[in-house]
Amino acid sequence: MATSRDDFVIAIRSAFLKKGNKQRFSLIGLIFFSIGLLIISKINLPVTNYLNVALNEIVYRSSFIVSIPEKKIQDLNLRIKNHYNTYNDYLKVKEELKSLKSQKYETEFLKSENDRLKKTIDEYIYNSEELVAKVLIDKKSPFLKSIIVNKGSKDKVKLGMAVLDGNYLVGKIVEVNYSTSRVLLVSDLNSKIPVGIEPGNIQSILSGTGKQNGKIEYLESEIIINDKSVVYTSGSGGLFKAGIPVGIYHKKTEENYEIVQFFSKLSQLTFVKLVSFEEGEN
Amino acid sequence: MTSKFKNTIGSRFILLLPLILLFVSVFNEFDFNYLNYKYFSFNFPFILIFYWSLKRSESLGYGFIFIAGLFNDVVMGFPLCVSSLAYLTVSLVATYIKNMTVNTRITTDWFTFFVAIFFSNLIFFILLINFSEVAINLTEISYNTFFTLIFFPFFWFLFTYYNSIITSGKNV
Repeated sequence: MATSRDDFVIAIRSAFLKKGNKQRFSLIGLIFFSIGLLIISKINLPVTNYLNVALNEIVYRSSFIVSIPEKKIQDLNLRIKNHYNTYNDYLKVKEELKSLKSQKYETEFLKSENDRLKKTIDEYIYNSEELVAKVLIDKKSPFLKSIIVNKGSKDKVKLGMAVLDGNYLVGKIVEVNYSTSRVLLVSDLNSKIPVGIEPGNIQSILSGTGKQNGKIEYLESEIIINDKSVVYTSGSGGLFKAGIPVGIYHKKTEENYEIVQFFSKLSQLTFVKLVSFEEGEN
Repeated sequence: MTSKFKNTIGSRFILLLPLILLFVSVFNEFDFNYLNYKYFSFNFPFILIFYWSLKRSESLGYGFIFIAGLFNDVVMGFPLCVSSLAYLTVSLVATYIKNMTVNTRITTDWFTFFVAIFFSNLIFFILLINFSEVAINLTEISYNTFFTLIFFPFFWFLFTYYNSIITSGKNV
């Protein structure tokens, strides 16, 4: 018994302390160093912030370069799929175009009417500044759903800016470095966005599920949302302007199935718009 | 010639391949996301670190494992050193097993790998909960751990074959 305990102690001591063949550091030293760095990072000292920003810049760029072969394979895979679906897509798009053409003029009229009415009731009209950014890293991690874009503080990117794919909301800026930024996607578990659901102007919070869709939270039980309602940002909190389309609400009552399908395909982002909204003159 | 892997760029590349693979995998995450399989992902660095720490510890230095962890934290957006500690835990378990045993087989390696990723994930979650506000989808993590465990034998055979090539090369 004593011998086996001795063996255990010797083996664990050896694993911790022995540098081994061609090892420059001992495990115990590195473990203590890691714990120390972790604690210092938590305290948020300026030194660690600089270290963080420098590391982010180097690693994001390197990761972009290393990911090129994988991206090529991904593109090839997508191209093959698109090739097979071309004809069906064409018919679908033709149909959609026909319906959109008829809606276009109506939308333009409603927009100008809306602006005029907003002025009448003294509500703010938002001015927006846009930046187009390229997606450097797009990792579908089991932990965080985020992307890295090639615009940072040098391009006047700020925390909380809305990130759009076309006209659709895909996320917000959560980390800004000198020439890169991290975007937390709307599908991430940590993403919470105030939304309005139309028809009915139902106010709620859209939360990510960690998958390719979202769910509506903090809704009073007596409120019923219709299937295929459209989810827009509500503008509450002042971070995003109201009315940015996010997705479509799908419901199957018998299966207790409720999701928000995002308009934008979050795994296919290549370029995005970083938009900041400011209250302009009314 | 003492070795067929001596003094050429190719030979250096072959000897450094585990290290190169480690850094490529943390930069690239080997996530196969273009396949779009629901829940499918596995943690390749865990397999790599465990195998090479167990069989040929000089292939991956502890310092490099630590740096790879740092890079992984930056890519994934975690607080610095969380992945480093998880990787070093895998390496620690592997080194302990190496010190305790003489001959190992795939079954024993597989079982001890399970122990290693159990402790590593445990430390990872404790640190993530205490040092960040990142919410985690436990179902996806469970699938990730499951696939990592399932894929271990496949990589074990692959790495053993590769290891035998290097070793035989050195013994010529």
